[in-house]
Amino acid sequence: MTEKRKKISRRDFLKLAGLSTSSLAVGSFSPPTRKKSVLPHSKIILDEAGRMKRPWWVREVDKPTVEISWESVKRFDARTAARGSGFINYVGQEEVNRLTKIAAGKEKERLLQKVPGYTLKDQALSAAQASSSSSKRSFLGLQKAQTPEERGVPTWKGSSSDAARILRVAMRHFGAATVGFVELNEQTKKLIYSYDTDGKEIVFEDVDIAYETTEKRVIPHKAKWVIVYTVQMSADALKRAPTAIAEQTTILSYGRALDIQIKTQEFIRGLGYQCLGEANVNGLGIAPALAVMAGLGELGRHNRVITPEFGPMVRIFKMITDLPVTTDKPIDAGIMQFCSSCKKCAETCPASALSLDDEPTWDVQGKWNNSGHKAYFEHSLKCRTYMMEGAGTNCSICFSVCPFAKKNKVWLHNWVKGGISSFPTLDGLLRSLDDAFSYGAQKSPEEWWWLNLPEYGINTEQTIDED
Amino acid sequence: MSEDKEYFTIKIVRRPWYEWILWGIWLFLEIVFLQSAIASHQELEQRAAMIYWLIVVVLSLTGFVFWIIRRSRLL
Ligand code: SF4
Ligand code: SF4
Repeated sequence: MTEKRKKISRRDFLKLAGLSTSSLAVGSFSPPTRKKSVLPHSKIILDEAGRMKRPWWVREVDKPTVEISWESVKRFDARTAARGSGFINYVGQEEVNRLTKIAAGKEKERLLQKVPGYTLKDQALSAAQASSSSSKRSFLGLQKAQTPEERGVPTWKGSSSDAARILRVAMRHFGAATVGFVELNEQTKKLIYSYDTDGKEIVFEDVDIAYETTEKRVIPHKAKWVIVYTVQMSADALKRAPTAIAEQTTILSYGRALDIQIKTQEFIRGLGYQCLGEANVNGLGIAPALAVMAGLGELGRHNRVITPEFGPMVRIFKMITDLPVTTDKPIDAGIMQFCSSCKKCAETCPASALSLDDEPTWDVQGKWNNSGHKAYFEHSLKCRTYMMEGAGTNCSICFSVCPFAKKNKVWLHNWVKGGISSFPTLDGLLRSLDDAFSYGAQKSPEEWWWLNLPEYGINTEQTIDED
Repeated sequence: MSEDKEYFTIKIVRRPWYEWILWGIWLFLEIVFLQSAIASHQELEQRAAMIYWLIVVVLSLTGFVFWIIRRSRLL
């Protein structure tokens, strides 16, 4: 026996050990669930629909915290959004020319004076970020991936939660921070633009395959699931807002989102289904509204979505698919409630574009706001004018000053978020403490060039290692 | 060899139960603020880190002074 034992070399032993472990693993393999974790950290196990575990203070609710009167909501014409290309329709070509001239003059002046955050290296960085995300954005996708039909196999089949899970996992792998799903019904269809940003009509038709003409983009009735996803921006860059350094992380997030869109469209095509994307920047539908319905976050005073995981440090994008997926519920993490006493974004907005009202209202500020929901409506024209006339880059101050824009290393902050959710009476005090600790103060743009930041300047483990 | 030489003897002063609770809270706060100070530094929030360090120092001094007072039975 001893002899025999001696004859087993180290290599044989390793082989044997490998075999026995793998046979054990095969024998006992079953899809891991949160309750019966086979992995060391329960936060890396997803539920059946691929949802990550969220902090205890994020509650799923049937109705979102933003009050909606669905009868009054109308499908929005994206050309009337003033922050984007619709700006010209409100102020006219002459004003746009004037502002463009001012912006160009200021840029040159700042370059010559080497204003931190606007120096040549900062501007070059921002321009470089914009250079990669050029022309591939499309409604129908590249349509290059082999379909199951082309491979001679049946279409992928699975339960709606399986579909949601593999989509989430794939999209996270493509670079999305969080992913949620909304079913398109008579109400939520109103969140899809009537006209896209480029003027093409978006229509739902009783057809099998989506198509696009010079006048319209057609969504088949059977494509009734919206995929909503967030892409992280770098908090360390945005804390330098408004500068070219802050601007470049926004541009980067759009570039990454485009990449995610293209890959997801191809992935879903590879499964045998359709996936319709944003044909233009911020196209297809109302991003904050869809994100709220998908439970990715709550609407903040600045009319952007604040997520429990990343605060407002994300951009939101969407696609539509006919792959049936398990949908998500809106959430209540006390965020919108906190906004009523916080007002920090509105107080610091250099353009006075944000509402200082105590409570959200049904009354819109202009045609650029979509009516039918209760919000702190913003004056988008003032915002856009400031970006051109004052900042010279995009602004984002309202993102960077937000108390929810903190990272998650400090235990106390995570407990405070729980407190916000459970004890709204503390909100005023917490806002004052936020100021006292100087959170939200603009950080040195020059310092940014010395920071040892991770890839893209973001923490991709923020949803995993949060306590 | 006598028993005394074979063992270390730790003597714990008799204190009312609420004093132990107070010391527990003090220790908990020390840990929380210390973690906040270190993590804020890692998060590049220097001003917040400074304030947290200040709180840690004040809390430590308070604990120390209180300990001295109790030790010399002034209170
Ligand atoms: S981006 Fe700037 S100008 Fe626009 S609302 Fe936010 S803080 Fe105000
Ligand atoms: S800064 Fe305050 S008021 Fe503004 S969005 Fe953030 S939490 Fe809400």
